[in-house]
Amino acid sequence: MQYDTIVIGGGHNGLAAATLLAKAGQSVLVLEKGAQPGGAVGVTRFKDGGSVPRYAHSTIALGRQEISDLGLSRHGLTGREAPLSTLLLSDDGRHVYLDGPSVAYADGAAHPDAAGFTALRDRLSRFADKLAPLVAAPPPQLEGGDWREIVGLAGLAFGIRRLGAVDSREFMRVLLSNVYDTVLDEMDDSPLAALLGVDAVLGGRQGPRAPGTVLTLLQRLRNGGNRIVPKGGMATVVDAFAEAASAAGVTIRCKTGVTAILTEDDRATGVETEEGERITCGRVLSSLDPMTTIRLTGIGQFDAEDVRRVRNIRTRGAAAKVNLSLSAMPSFTGVSDKQASGRILTAQGLGDLELTYNAVKYGEMPETPIMEIVLPGRRDAEMGATLSAIVQYVPYDLQGGWTDSAKKTLESKVLDRLEGFAPGLTASVQEAEVLTPVDIETETGAPGGHWHHGELIADQMLMLRPVPGMDRYEMPVSGMYLCGASTHPGGDVTGLPGCNAARQVLKGLKKRAAA
Amino acid sequence: MSVIKKPAMKGVQRGLSPTPFHDFLAPMNLEQSWMDWAGFLSPRHFESIESEYFAIRNQATVFDVSPMRKYRIAGPDALTVMNRLVTRNVAKMRDNRVAYSIWCDEDGNVIDDGTVFRFTATDFRLCCQEPQFSWLNDVAWGFDVEIVDESLDVAGLSLQGPTSYAVLKAAGFNGVETMKPFDIRHFDDGVTVSRTGFTGDLGYELWVPNDKAAALWQHLFAAGRIHGLKPVGYEAVEMTRIEAGLLLPGKDFQSSHHALRSTRGRTPFELGFGWMVDFGKGHFNGRRALLKAKETGPRYMVVGLDIDGNKPAYDALVYHRGKVEAGHVTSALWSPTCKRNLAFAMLKAPYGIGVTDDLFVEIYRDKEGKWEKGLARARIVNRRFFDYPRRAATPPALY
Ligand SMILES: Cc1cc2nc3c(=O)[nH]c(=O)nc-3n(C[C@H](O)[C@H](O)[C@H](O)COP(=O)(O)OP(=O)(O)OC[C@H]3O[C@@H](n4cnc5c(N)ncnc54)[C@H](O)[C@@H]3O)c2cc1C
Repeated sequence: MQYDTIVIGGGHNGLAAATLLAKAGQSVLVLEKGAQPGGAVGVTRFKDGGSVPRYAHSTIALGRQEISDLGLSRHGLTGREAPLSTLLLSDDGRHVYLDGPSVAYADGAAHPDAAGFTALRDRLSRFADKLAPLVAAPPPQLEGGDWREIVGLAGLAFGIRRLGAVDSREFMRVLLSNVYDTVLDEMDDSPLAALLGVDAVLGGRQGPRAPGTVLTLLQRLRNGGNRIVPKGGMATVVDAFAEAASAAGVTIRCKTGVTAILTEDDRATGVETEEGERITCGRVLSSLDPMTTIRLTGIGQFDAEDVRRVRNIRTRGAAAKVNLSLSAMPSFTGVSDKQASGRILTAQGLGDLELTYNAVKYGEMPETPIMEIVLPGRRDAEMGATLSAIVQYVPYDLQGGWTDSAKKTLESKVLDRLEGFAPGLTASVQEAEVLTPVDIETETGAPGGHWHHGELIADQMLMLRPVPGMDRYEMPVSGMYLCGASTHPGGDVTGLPGCNAARQVLKGLKKRAAA
Repeated sequence: MSVIKKPAMKGVQRGLSPTPFHDFLAPMNLEQSWMDWAGFLSPRHFESIESEYFAIRNQATVFDVSPMRKYRIAGPDALTVMNRLVTRNVAKMRDNRVAYSIWCDEDGNVIDDGTVFRFTATDFRLCCQEPQFSWLNDVAWGFDVEIVDESLDVAGLSLQGPTSYAVLKAAGFNGVETMKPFDIRHFDDGVTVSRTGFTGDLGYELWVPNDKAAALWQHLFAAGRIHGLKPVGYEAVEMTRIEAGLLLPGKDFQSSHHALRSTRGRTPFELGFGWMVDFGKGHFNGRRALLKAKETGPRYMVVGLDIDGNKPAYDALVYHRGKVEAGHVTSALWSPTCKRNLAFAMLKAPYGIGVTDDLFVEIYRDKEGKWEKGLARARIVNRRFFDYPRRAATPPALY
């Protein structure tokens, strides 16, 4: 046996799982098919030297526990960085700016819904913190859970009671409700109302009217819901995860795609790489989605019911990425440089979000895409004049397919939308990179190019994620685990699936040693 | 990947469908006693159950098994898919052989039983009672096979009884004498014969495309007259099934796909089918659960009972020492051939496993409007109650 553990995929979750296992004394090998680790956290470098986050452009609600367990702060990611501010662009020019607790128009004028919005956000944040313990552990077990978990769940229920009678009733009322109604109960539709909607649906293939979008919002509002980008940008994030892994003794091998998971007598015993090399190990952790993992192992090793459940996971992605290299920093009308240094949203309201979502159902491109934009150069000058845009809703299964001309059409739709807010931007484009869900799938292996490796919505969350029976990270083949975004609690740059999976492996080992 | 063959139908058809043999069955069915078998008109009995029963045991009979579900599983991965489906090792079968088998769900509970026809390693037929098309497609997903539901295309006749071989010889099925039990042989006019059946006796099953069904019937009856060939209905076949020790899903156990309560499924071990589970062949559906079930031991046990007296123990409860309820009877009859009062019973552990003596059945009798009950002593015996060497003799005797 060459390694105690082999981790397939060097995305941040694979690295996180590897780190915790190595820290527990295991010899760990991470195999990554790409040229460098990071997966959907990476960097695009333009010809002129500028750079931009290739996919993810901020961390969302990254937890202190993971930062400290993985030792990320020693490698440049402390989590204490100032959270990004938020700029909400409005077609009527009355942009809204949120920085810390303050909510106002970009020109400084008071926003009529500021108080209502703040009260709602605070209330939801309180709810989110009550749910946070659910996220940082394997999903609750309905049958055969051990007493510690049951005590933990009881604590959770108690915590919800402690919200008080009014709040706890409200919590139960909104939990599985939709973000559209929940927000518009409190205020009129506007870019400010859309903010909570975007947080609920970003990366998913759901409109804000879908039931369960409050639950996804609550997940994003943990830890104050902070978006953090450390000094050095997303490259620092990848490096922190990779360096923490190396420091813990993990071996990371890039350009080594895994083509098969080897089993013997219903136990994972190693992997085979693209070059045909066979590497043996005591267990395999796959940060790939369950279907890919099943295919690598052989469908015949799994019961038909498992395969059916996995087949039915909804995985079509709806987020694309457009990265621009510009000749000059874009200038948004009526917005200061500081105000443009955080995240910038283009949604005009929850209604706009829902209508834009409609097209994706029919495999069509949105007329006016919804975007979350970051200008990395505003915070780190060495990144140059670049623009990073997450674009929604962009169908994986575009009618007619993702031809070059279809990609060009998407690019011009994005530029048209930007041009309205930042005149002259289109003319300043030097290089444009369009990454459709299909491109994302090809490059990272994420099924459907999906941000979460599988839709994150109530019926695919908690013990239903990725499917019942695999929700505790363990696959039916012994010594085989899942540790990527497809598992609980889903995607985003949190390291949680990886950490949870590794903790589950260690718990199993301890149990076996005790027996 | 899979093809559902639509039956040719004009307008909306209501009620039960005739089988391809119906035009022959109907005039012979003096009692006009029919039942619903999988949506088909199936004879319950033609004249008297007794005469049909004794015909099965003493001459030659045909039972129309066309309503059985028949699936063709063909393609490069057919062997892999069949081995993924059933608990037995299909790789060990030779071509043109039949194997009785069961298949299980992920919890190791039996879904159904049936016969696996291996024509070649890339061409199989599965014959069973319950619709399995969607389950087969689940099992075959990701493999290179085509699954065709042949249920409505292939007709079947079960030719059973001591003179069945003589009937086939007289009908010119040359070479049938070398067929061993579970052999398959292909004959002219699209007739495939397998040496299989439900009766535990010498017998064959004949399979033909629907359009050749009438010709086959006429041919068999022309040759079979002097060998006492006659059609039989479900009731008589049911008696011989119990004598032969064969379980019937839905009666002796519940298919796990029909059991709503999670505790109603039964593992092969609990049905006495442990011998059909081959753990050495690699993964198959339910293998992990079955390994665990084997370790924990059976929760129930289906047993054969030999009961004092001559009153059949229909639906009887089984008691240990006459006091503690141990289970219930699922099938029962007074066996005219064995001259024994027989039954299958589903007993709850430890009865039938650790505790096998001091069992009684409570038999209920309706005596002209008055119910009487009595306890009769029951002994657990091998459930293959009727087992005669002539079943397996090759070549069979020409009675
Ligand atoms: C366009 C886009 C924008 C996003 N923006 C944000 C954001 O702003 N903030 C945020 O928090 N999250 C964002 N996300 C989500 C986040 O990036 C992902 O949820 C997260 O990166 C998932 O991490 P992972 O380690 O589970 O999987 P991945 O990052 O997908 O890593 C999987 C790794 O496995 C490798 N791999 C695949 N197949 C093989 C194989 N056969 N052998 C070996 N290696 C293999 C891949 O190359 C990849 O490195 C975004 C996602 C997308 C697609």
